Amino acid sequence: MQYDPKLPADGINTSAEHPLREFALLVAGLIGAVLALIAIAALAVDRLVPLVPPSLEARWFGGWLTDAAAASDPRSAPVQALLDRVVSHWSDAPYPFRAGVIDEPDPNALALPGGAILVTSGLLDRVGSENELALVLGHELGHFRARDHLRGLGRGLAAQLVLGALGGSGDLVSGLSAFAGALAQHGFDRRQESQADTFGLSLVHAEYGHVAGARDLFAHLARSQRDAPATGRRLASYLDTHPLSEDRVAALAAEAAAHDWATEGPLTPWVRRPDAE
Amino acid sequence: MDALIQIGFALALLAVTYFTGRRVERRHYASIRARERELAMLPAVTFRQIPSGWVVDGLGVVSGSVVVSVDYFKRFLAGLRTLVGGRVTSYETLLDRARREAILRCKEDARQRGYQAVVNLRLETTRVSRASNNSRATAGVEVLAFGTGLELRRDPR
Repeated sequence: MQYDPKLPADGINTSAEHPLREFALLVAGLIGAVLALIAIAALAVDRLVPLVPPSLEARWFGGWLTDAAAASDPRSAPVQALLDRVVSHWSDAPYPFRAGVIDEPDPNALALPGGAILVTSGLLDRVGSENELALVLGHELGHFRARDHLRGLGRGLAAQLVLGALGGSGDLVSGLSAFAGALAQHGFDRRQESQADTFGLSLVHAEYGHVAGARDLFAHLARSQRDAPATGRRLASYLDTHPLSEDRVAALAAEAAAHDWATEGPLTPWVRRPDAE
Repeated sequence: MDALIQIGFALALLAVTYFTGRRVERRHYASIRARERELAMLPAVTFRQIPSGWVVDGLGVVSGSVVVSVDYFKRFLAGLRTLVGGRVTSYETLLDRARREAILRCKEDARQRGYQAVVNLRLETTRVSRASNNSRATAGVEVLAFGTGLELRRDPR
């Protein structure tokens, strides 16, 4: 028998496909699939949210604020009193609304499922009048009316579910997941914001008989944005989650003009820190 | 912001390990090919019989084993591949290198011990460990090549 020395052949047990090409294809496919799934989930949430009766929502989430320390905060009482007055002009309010204050230097307000509105101490410190705070509360009520808060929660959950299913695939995927979570937290789109603005403005008009202070609110918040110390932020600021644009202010003015609402009128002062005075 | 940092870090790690992994692999292949040429005259075959026309003066078990790992980039690529299925091409070179390296070491073992051939060559593959505790990714594989080394001389008859 003769031994025939031949070298092993290259390229039979390995593939010639360039790894970067494979990487690009797989990443593009993955991102496309994730976005498509999230879009489908978001659409499904949009369809489902109107089907959730407010009574069910109150039962699911109603306990959120009562348990929170915010409800027992002494600063909550005047906000709650104002909220009750503003809500009284919403004839078919679905459930009782509760207001809470959280300690947070950045001015912001958020609507939580079940009828809880949280405002930050930073917002209370910055509003120039009660009217401005009423507009903020009315705006959040507008989100409740359109059920945007449930939509936001549902979309966030859907995105987390989709990304969580892929979560085992490494740092990059979990990074993308956290990023999408941050985006979901970022809130509502422009149409939802302007609808909430419109509703909030109508409540303000119903309460005070005029809509003075609306423009001032944005001026005060914009100023606080500039003055804010550049330290690490804990919560997104109001103007981050509620982007201020010329359009938005103009839309408010147009809305007031369309209904012939007075844009000037006596402003009610907001009494800050009643415990300190 | 944290998420962006996390993504950026992962992307940087992917980019760096793509190049380092490529370099490591290219050098390994160069070394494998050179030694395959060097040891080409020492046969390592899978049959069990002593070749006819030869007399065996001595024999013994010879073996060679190697543990190889893939880089972060290839592991990530393989992770993506497991989502959709298909050939995990990024692991193919890992196993190809490991098999050829193990056979080379087995031959080297035989040569150092004075054998002229290896018969009944066998290969075994074992996953060595996990990349980390909470990951299903493989850190590396061991490939073991073993066989019977033969001290041969021509049958005078």
